[in-house]
Amino acid sequence: MFTHREILSVLEMLRNEHLDLRTVTLGLSLLDCASDDIKRFQTKIYDRITKTAENLVAVCDLVGEKYGIPVVNKRISVSPIAVVAAPFGAEEMVAIAHTLDEAAKAIGVDFLGGFSALVEKGTARGDRALIEALPEALASTSRVCASINVATTRAGINIDAVLLMGQQIKQAALLTADRDGIGCAKLCVFANIPQDVPFMAGAYLGVGEPDAVINVGVSGPGVVKKAIDRMVADHPDANLGQITELIKRTAYKVTRVGELIGREVADILGIPFGVVDLSLAPTPNVGDSVGEIFQSLGLRSIGVPGTTVALAMLNDAVKKGGAFASSNVGGLSGAFIPVSEDLNISQSAENGFLSLEKLEAMTSVCSVGLDMVAIPGDTTAETLAAIIADEMAIGVINKKTTAARIIPVPGKQAGERAFFGGLLGESVILQVNNARGDNPFIRRGGLIPAPIHSLTN
Amino acid sequence: MNKFVISILGKDSPGIIAAVTRVFFEHDFTIEDVSQTMVQNQFSGIFIVSGPKLVSHDQLLEALQDNTTIFDLHFHIRDLDADDAVPTPGDCESFVITTRGPDRKGLVSRITAVFAAHHVNVTQLRAVFRGGETPENNFMIYEVDIPLSVDQKKLRQSLNARATELNLEISIQHKNIFEAMNRI
Repeated sequence: MFTHREILSVLEMLRNEHLDLRTVTLGLSLLDCASDDIKRFQTKIYDRITKTAENLVAVCDLVGEKYGIPVVNKRISVSPIAVVAAPFGAEEMVAIAHTLDEAAKAIGVDFLGGFSALVEKGTARGDRALIEALPEALASTSRVCASINVATTRAGINIDAVLLMGQQIKQAALLTADRDGIGCAKLCVFANIPQDVPFMAGAYLGVGEPDAVINVGVSGPGVVKKAIDRMVADHPDANLGQITELIKRTAYKVTRVGELIGREVADILGIPFGVVDLSLAPTPNVGDSVGEIFQSLGLRSIGVPGTTVALAMLNDAVKKGGAFASSNVGGLSGAFIPVSEDLNISQSAENGFLSLEKLEAMTSVCSVGLDMVAIPGDTTAETLAAIIADEMAIGVINKKTTAARIIPVPGKQAGERAFFGGLLGESVILQVNNARGDNPFIRRGGLIPAPIHSLTN
Repeated sequence: MNKFVISILGKDSPGIIAAVTRVFFEHDFTIEDVSQTMVQNQFSGIFIVSGPKLVSHDQLLEALQDNTTIFDLHFHIRDLDADDAVPTPGDCESFVITTRGPDRKGLVSRITAVFAAHHVNVTQLRAVFRGGETPENNFMIYEVDIPLSVDQKKLRQSLNARATELNLEISIQHKNIFEAMNRI
């Protein structure tokens, strides 16, 4: 028997606070599909995806209905294509992206991740072909997501790859210029990419993972915000220790939802359960925003002094609540700050409270990086690469994941608006220092060695 | 051995349970099961007790009435078969069904009629009137057991249709979600 408070608090989270299961992502190994015959390879991967994931959407809907909690997105992540399709050239890589897109469409998932390469220490033949194929592959597909890992704490930062990514991001933006460079919204450059992230665009299935695995991404920034609002209304003098305790408890509840539903979906599909990734992932809806949490905490807007410490506090409390709720917490688990995908964050940027530099500082204490940041279209590839390299350094030195998902919006300047639509949202274009200048430092290329693991000051 | 089920109803007051259970104790009866609740200021309790064969149904009732006169309680007592095993729940799944919306006559009866038609058993029923000036914030919470043989899709359709007729929002959720989120 439950108390009516227990029942009504769950209903309230669902009805007014946007609690949902943001994604159930089926990780699928394609390693045994390898072939040097492109047609054979395409048939094998298409069949593997469509057969294994045939019932994914229906089962997620069924389980979601049983618990009254919607599973908003169902997605697929696959083994890094640069590894699986290593024998092929760039043109064939584009054809493979089309096959992945068709497979995703056939099973009714909105995104499929894993058009990926891991090049932190060097670039192999398949990696080169995939990176070369990126602009065309992203422009000519709608569901395929790409990620390139260019740095790790153990290997260092591959600046040659970073430079290349600067150029490819520019090119991807140009090929999708009519849609404000949306191709770049499906491409993440990573340091320390996790093998089990369920969230897009960074999801791929690591080579250390099983044949198939169900990973779950839970969100709920609205639930955290409303919990803080209620506490502040009831106890206006609540201190930050009390508020972090509340965030932790709230994160616990939300994570339990993911664990329960994820395990049941995995059981029905006969696929092992992997991890719950509890990340406060916003959508461009009022009440489903990470930015609003900062205002509930007492900051005028995300971006003002106090933002970094508030984010550190929030991120840590979310991780602690999640870790207590499930023994299988993985992925990114923390707070996302995607500018265009969060109405409040993009408004803060528009109002001048949030700059690229402040965003970069924030990424040193939260779970991702410069995410869905629109910058002027005339930003040079070198400057773009330098922004990415800065972001990678934060991840490498702090032994954490960082990523850059930056969109140089073709033909638009700082202060104008970029529109990506749907979950990707819209945003003001942020100012970039030295946007059009060259950058001889980055142009030097090479590998920045892995950092020392002692003398940690 | 005699086995009785006794229901007790009356205005709540300190000492009711002490007085009642003292009668059981003095007549050498054991409490096998008990459930007690309060609705507004009204006390209600159901006791299943067993004791010596020589104490009859009427004797126990009389003793209860004599020893609780100050509380003005109503008792109802029935014989139970001493060998009656505790029923085990059949192959059921437990759900929590919540309706939200303005109170009106016949609301519970019309929702539970759908349950009955689908062989759904209500195990707990509570009203939470938080409406005040916003009558739509009135909730009825039904904890129910749904036999595995029931077509849940049809049940959901019937309940949703009935809720629409009654201008109610309805949610139908497996109880595990409440367990997972609220209990460690």
